[in-house]
Amino acid sequence: MSTATVGRLSSRERFDEASVAEDVAIFSAFTISATLWLLITTAIGLLLSFKFTYPDLATNPFLSFGRLRAIHTNGTFYGWASLALTGLAFYIAARSSGIHLRQKRLAWAALWSYNIAAVLGGITLDLGISNGSQEYREWVWWVAAFFLLAVVLSGVVVVATVMARREREIYIANWYTIGGFIFTTILGVTAAIPIYQYGLGQVAVQGFYMHNAVGMWFTFLALGVTYYSLPKLLNRPIYSYALGVLGFWTNLVFYPVIGAHHYEFSPLPWWFQTLAIVFSVGMLVPVWAGTGNFWLTMRGRWATVRRSYALPFFFVGVLYYFVGSTQGTVEAFRSLQAIWHLTNFTVGHSHLTMYGFITFIAWGGIYGLLPMATGKRPPLLLVGLHFWLAFLGVTIYVLVLSVAGTVQGITWANGDPFIASVEAAAPYWSGRAVSGTMMLLAHVIFAYNVWRMTLAPTPTATSSSPMSLAAESAHE
Amino acid sequence: MDNVRVLVLSAAGVYAFMALVMGVIPGTILSKTPPTPGLVPLDAAAARGRDVYVGEGCSYCHTQQVRPLAQDRVWGRPSRGGDYAFSTPQLLGSERTGPDLSNIGVRQPSDVWQSIHLYEPRALVHGSIMPAYPWMFVAKDHAAPDDVVVSVPPEYAPPGKVIVATHEEQDLVAYLKSLKQPPLPSRAPSP
Repeated sequence: MSTATVGRLSSRERFDEASVAEDVAIFSAFTISATLWLLITTAIGLLLSFKFTYPDLATNPFLSFGRLRAIHTNGTFYGWASLALTGLAFYIAARSSGIHLRQKRLAWAALWSYNIAAVLGGITLDLGISNGSQEYREWVWWVAAFFLLAVVLSGVVVVATVMARREREIYIANWYTIGGFIFTTILGVTAAIPIYQYGLGQVAVQGFYMHNAVGMWFTFLALGVTYYSLPKLLNRPIYSYALGVLGFWTNLVFYPVIGAHHYEFSPLPWWFQTLAIVFSVGMLVPVWAGTGNFWLTMRGRWATVRRSYALPFFFVGVLYYFVGSTQGTVEAFRSLQAIWHLTNFTVGHSHLTMYGFITFIAWGGIYGLLPMATGKRPPLLLVGLHFWLAFLGVTIYVLVLSVAGTVQGITWANGDPFIASVEAAAPYWSGRAVSGTMMLLAHVIFAYNVWRMTLAPTPTATSSSPMSLAAESAHE
Repeated sequence: MDNVRVLVLSAAGVYAFMALVMGVIPGTILSKTPPTPGLVPLDAAAARGRDVYVGEGCSYCHTQQVRPLAQDRVWGRPSRGGDYAFSTPQLLGSERTGPDLSNIGVRQPSDVWQSIHLYEPRALVHGSIMPAYPWMFVAKDHAAPDDVVVSVPPEYAPPGKVIVATHEEQDLVAYLKSLKQPPLPSRAPSP
């Protein structure tokens, strides 16, 4: 909306205009701070990847592998992906409800709370203050509390907005995002209470927690973003509303059961592990329902996908959701865990899902929706460069680490001396550093593009093709 | 679905139930696993050393779980739930970039070896990619009488200096030496 028309609006409309402008500011602020966390934490990830090849590089307590690894994982999870997807969830809640965002002060408070958590989490972990190297809950409780507060505040904003909607039905995208905020609140409280978690009991809770932190938070938010953005960007309805509902409930019931597959062959009860493996197969239902639904929505519109800024990111995100989650099911079988468990294969899998799926969906959402909100478009050439560097980077990353994990597992099974597994994986670790460099370069380009979509002074004419602009803005 | 309250309450109800059944109840029951016979609680130095181990993130590369698989026999006997009775936060780990440490106190009981290895792993293990922890040591011109001097090979130590272990490092070594799997009764079948 241009400011030139403000003079002719009634006071009610002017209020709405200011309100919508604040929505855009909130969406922009979430995206900008998410992008800063992406840059910082993936730069750290790249440093870590070089330490595999040069173990005496940057030997300093504050730059040591064991401290920075948790900053990389928690920072990408709770800084980058959580902020980016929450910003998108706010915008989607407002737009799909045909209104402006409710409880905006809580939205700003959530922004602060997320960032305070990520800053304090980074500082404490770098000082060696941690909740015990338990993946994705390394932050001590008073740091995690800021994150949890942000999740609750964000959930209130989205629920309040959807409750005030103009349409009768709650759009399926909002089911998923609202679900993500609710589940993560319950999960966070469950994980943070220490009084029932000792020894092997804590192992069981950790399996539950680490899988649900990914599956009940990022998966739900990313699916919500996809359910809104794909129909919006393609200008056609989602293929099947019912498949979306099926995916919602099956995700909700199957995901919480599969956590113990992270501890196969551990002293956790054998039947408990078997149950997790069985439900890992059950996960094919929501995954194939979701990906099938998205592909059938894209079907026959590949020319539009190719010309768009955002849709190629969604295409890769959906593809790697399918590949990564199906791999997760197969990987859970005991015969394969016997070789792949505890190897780099797991690290490849986690990047396939958290990067290939979650991060690509977040990028798709940002490139698809942020220019609609701000009226500023990034240069298409740089969006393309971002896409190809990130896509090739993560693909190479996952391939080399999958091979590295396999050779590690084989040397162990052969009964070779342990150091043989280190030597066998070494070339692939160099490959990981190369692909990681491509990914970080992609993030720098993305950061520039975010600046162009938000803070850059004027919406300049860009090199983007008029066709793609028309395709993306026709329905705005 | 057109009622947000119904959606919120039903989704929250189902997930709270799942969290109870799959998280809280298994956690509560398994937390009561009795210690393996012969397992001793950590002494004060080893307990402090465990905190160092946690803070430095050692368990990102070193597991403490021996699986009932042939390739894990080299690390000790298969782990039992009771082995972790005094192990909170749990340190089973998810990656084995370095060796498993469940039984390292038996496999490598030497203080000297552990200290040199922490100062510079490549002084002892060719091809190791473990980080060095020189900040757990002090390089001095002359050792004081009560200093714990670490005999780092000269090519790895600063010239003309002696390397002295800090209390932090001594605690960490005490923890590593405490990691011993209590032997099982002889009639327990070996997988």
